Amino acid sequence: MKMTKNGLAAFATAVGLLYSTASPALATTEINVIGFGAGFAWADLFGPSGTEKTQKLLDFESANDVSVNMEFADEDVARQKVLLDLINGTGNYDLVMLGSDGAVQTFSAAGYLEPLDGYLDSAKDIFDASKVYKPFLEANTVNGQLWGLPYYSFGSGVVYRKDIFDKYGITEFPKTTAELEVVLQTIKDGLAADGITDVYPLTMRGAPGEEPSLDLSGFVYAYAGYPAWFEGGPVTPEEIKATKAQPIFNGDFKPGFETFVRWSQDFGPPGIATHTWVDMMNLYAQGKAVVLMPSAINAFAGIPGSEIAAVKEHSKFAPSPTGPSGKAIQSFWTFSVGVSAYSKNKPEAYKTLAFLTSEPVLRGFADAFGWPYTTYPEIMHSPTLTDRWSAEMLGQIEASFSEADPHYFPYIPELVEFMDQIGTGASSAIAGTVTVDEALDELQDWSTDRMTRAGYYK
Amino acid sequence: MARKLGRTLSDDLGRWTLITLALIFVLLPIVWLAIASVKTRNAALAIPPEFIFTPDFSAYARIMSGGFLGAFQNSLIIALSNVVLTLVLGVPAAFALTRMHGKVQENLSFWLLSIRMAPLFAVILPLYVLFKSIGLLDTPIAVSLAHLTLTLPLAIWMLVTYFRSIPVDLDHAARLDGANAMQILWLVIIPIARPMLASVAIIVFIFSWNEFLLAFILTSRNAQTVPVAVASLAGTMSFDWPLIAAVSVASMLPALIFVGFAQRHIVSGLGSGAVK
Amino acid sequence: MVKDWRFWFVIPTVLALGTVVAFPTGFLLWMSTAHWVVTEPGVYFNGAQNFQTLFASSAFLSATGVTLAYLTLSTAIMVVLAFAFALALAGPHSSGLLRALMITPLVIPPVVVGFTWRFLLNGEIGFIGAYLLPAIGIEANLLAEPLGALFSIVIADVWSRTPFMFLIFLAALQSIPRDYYEAIRLDGAKRFHEFFLITLPMMKGAISVAILFRVIDALNTFELIYVMTKGGPGRSTQTYSLLGWKTAFQGFDFGAAAALGVVMIVVTTIVALAVFRRFMRGV
Repeated sequence: MKMTKNGLAAFATAVGLLYSTASPALATTEINVIGFGAGFAWADLFGPSGTEKTQKLLDFESANDVSVNMEFADEDVARQKVLLDLINGTGNYDLVMLGSDGAVQTFSAAGYLEPLDGYLDSAKDIFDASKVYKPFLEANTVNGQLWGLPYYSFGSGVVYRKDIFDKYGITEFPKTTAELEVVLQTIKDGLAADGITDVYPLTMRGAPGEEPSLDLSGFVYAYAGYPAWFEGGPVTPEEIKATKAQPIFNGDFKPGFETFVRWSQDFGPPGIATHTWVDMMNLYAQGKAVVLMPSAINAFAGIPGSEIAAVKEHSKFAPSPTGPSGKAIQSFWTFSVGVSAYSKNKPEAYKTLAFLTSEPVLRGFADAFGWPYTTYPEIMHSPTLTDRWSAEMLGQIEASFSEADPHYFPYIPELVEFMDQIGTGASSAIAGTVTVDEALDELQDWSTDRMTRAGYYK
Repeated sequence: MARKLGRTLSDDLGRWTLITLALIFVLLPIVWLAIASVKTRNAALAIPPEFIFTPDFSAYARIMSGGFLGAFQNSLIIALSNVVLTLVLGVPAAFALTRMHGKVQENLSFWLLSIRMAPLFAVILPLYVLFKSIGLLDTPIAVSLAHLTLTLPLAIWMLVTYFRSIPVDLDHAARLDGANAMQILWLVIIPIARPMLASVAIIVFIFSWNEFLLAFILTSRNAQTVPVAVASLAGTMSFDWPLIAAVSVASMLPALIFVGFAQRHIVSGLGSGAVK
Repeated sequence: MVKDWRFWFVIPTVLALGTVVAFPTGFLLWMSTAHWVVTEPGVYFNGAQNFQTLFASSAFLSATGVTLAYLTLSTAIMVVLAFAFALALAGPHSSGLLRALMITPLVIPPVVVGFTWRFLLNGEIGFIGAYLLPAIGIEANLLAEPLGALFSIVIADVWSRTPFMFLIFLAALQSIPRDYYEAIRLDGAKRFHEFFLITLPMMKGAISVAILFRVIDALNTFELIYVMTKGGPGRSTQTYSLLGWKTAFQGFDFGAAAALGVVMIVVTTIVALAVFRRFMRGV
């Protein structure tokens, strides 16, 4: 009996002690940020674990009397928290990380984001919009309003193994999708003839969910020549409503979708129906893929950590090939950050946002990773990148920004859902559980119903 | 005699084959995790795997330097408070249930056992609304309370069947001595039930420690738990397997220690609960 | 009633669970009848519309199949394994160390379990998927194939949850009085007689409780599947739980997600009532 009492008392004390040390110290204006990509995003501010604060960040904090709290989560899962915050108007987060492939469109429509146009002048010394590549801002513009500032961003392209191309007598990376398909077949045959079974001609991503949709939409755009989701290719809710444009997933959407699926099946690794960009990156880094496209950035992400000498020495960049329409395959994305409409400290939040996307911070990113992608021309042409990469390649990458059409898929509030359905359909088709036609018919039915319910065709 | 020995031998052979296979199945992933946690990033991905290598403990160093210690502290607070809450609420309730009869008892028992019918994804939003309205979001106590939905029915089920095995005569005797219900519980029942309470506590601790979805929804930076921290690592650029493995290994340690010490208690505790 | 001590002993529990369960469930019922799409203005009553949309969708149909397959397959394997392990380790001479080793997966968070198995089974870099399986001549990328992926989540789930069932069975086995067996042995009974005449009937309660907890648990399994396959490839491992989560947090349709939640409550209640009425009266 006595034992029990003492035990309980000790237990209570232990719990009490744990509590007392758990409460955080209070600071000045707290800016809470939710994001994804711990250890990668803002490694120069939050350290490789995403949980520290570097001197660079501390300097900003003390100069502006704010305290920046970063919370990292998985991308899809982070969205769940943001949504709960939004529905309840909790205002837990002042800054929210967004992708330009759904979150920007959806959250701005839902009223969760603060339009930024009015803030741009308030911290021009920290973030000057005129110094950033325009398309990255356009990608975050919905209905003429700017909703997010771009952090890490990229355009489309191809990274391939020059040594393997040479080996099979291919002297140049093809300019068109038709030529590329022939080349992929040549490589496939060559690898087979040499008895190499663990190297695949192509690596892309086919995981269920939104994962493949960014690249797949790029295929659709290159094959149809326009964002072929709805009749006539409208990209805003107003345009769709004006013409009552019906979905065309089993129409002009098909050639690009079909090619994406077929190439994945014929030239990709066996697990491709589950691959995310991480798998795509690892596969390339391990020397198991000859071509990585159209989000070339994922190859640049993998190359530095590769232990395969040939990957490091013989990887080359090429512009994304053009489809039958003459337009290049797209893969255009910005990892942007927006201000919550429920933030209690919007001016400070914007200032922090400006800092997080400022030139010195993006330079820190370039210094740390050395990838040939950045949002500032100034960084693109500085020794940080020009010392590492050829001027020709940097020029090609710069062109992939300036020649991109950021709105190569519709900017509608339902975008997140569409990206999810399209990607899941592609994953099913690649895995072979349904045929391309079945996947597209289902997509067509689903989207017709979805758009009708959302009131587009009243 | 010889026939009996033969039977025992062949029985034993089957039994040990089964046990060996079971152990391989059970331990392989854990051993693999432990090994991966002391490899370098590239070595952890190498196929064929290297079986002989110089261990690299930098992943553990990264845990210590990163924010994971806070997550461990939070998880510990949440699981321990949940154990306390579960026992404080569950012990009297279970005791009262065993001293009830008829329809009320039956319906109450069913309701308590089946309390988790609502799928978690569907109650996330209401729970969030609830804890927001009482200002408990992102606090350990909110997660502890939410975990009651998992742990309390389990604890009550274990306790009810155990208490039923304690003869009612003991109550009567104590009552004759002038004890009230509270005193009977505290002075008669609980001392007898100590090993059982220990096993309930451990099981409850484990369930609370492991839970992800509720802990994820109800916390952000102040009260993040270990499973949530592990999940957030997955979003990283490099998919740092040694780090994930190291955190995983560390995440099992507290519960593993409990289980190691109290394995016999858990079994005997559950035993009295399982068969009526 | 209010004077009865039993009332005061039970009421804190009822209140606590009522708050964290009954309120959300009520909220859920209301939500299931509402048109509530975050990207559209306004929340309004729309009757059974959410249920109609749900039942008509192909995603619901496929999730039903996947959930059933996953549930029955994993539960069946789990019961058999847990029973076999418990029988093997129930003897008085079995070491505590062996039992402790057997239940280690219990202490590993399912989210960690998911990562671990995903990595182990990975066809390019996984120890099992890229090394052990090819070594014995199986060149299958389990996670990438519809059936293989389903099988993979079942394996991981079995690995993770069998220990709990094993514990319940082990405990139940140990509390069967020895003299029952001795009595029947005197009558010349064989091993399988013992099993069917004593062990199994005595274990009925434990088995049904274990299955009840398991069914509820399986319907709620989320993070393990999410981490391993995200419901893919395609929709081949998309259970109710994942579909509901997706509907709410990717599709922003809270009404439809709530409708699915209500369907799940109804299904579990029926299953639970059946089990309860049949085996557990008076528990």
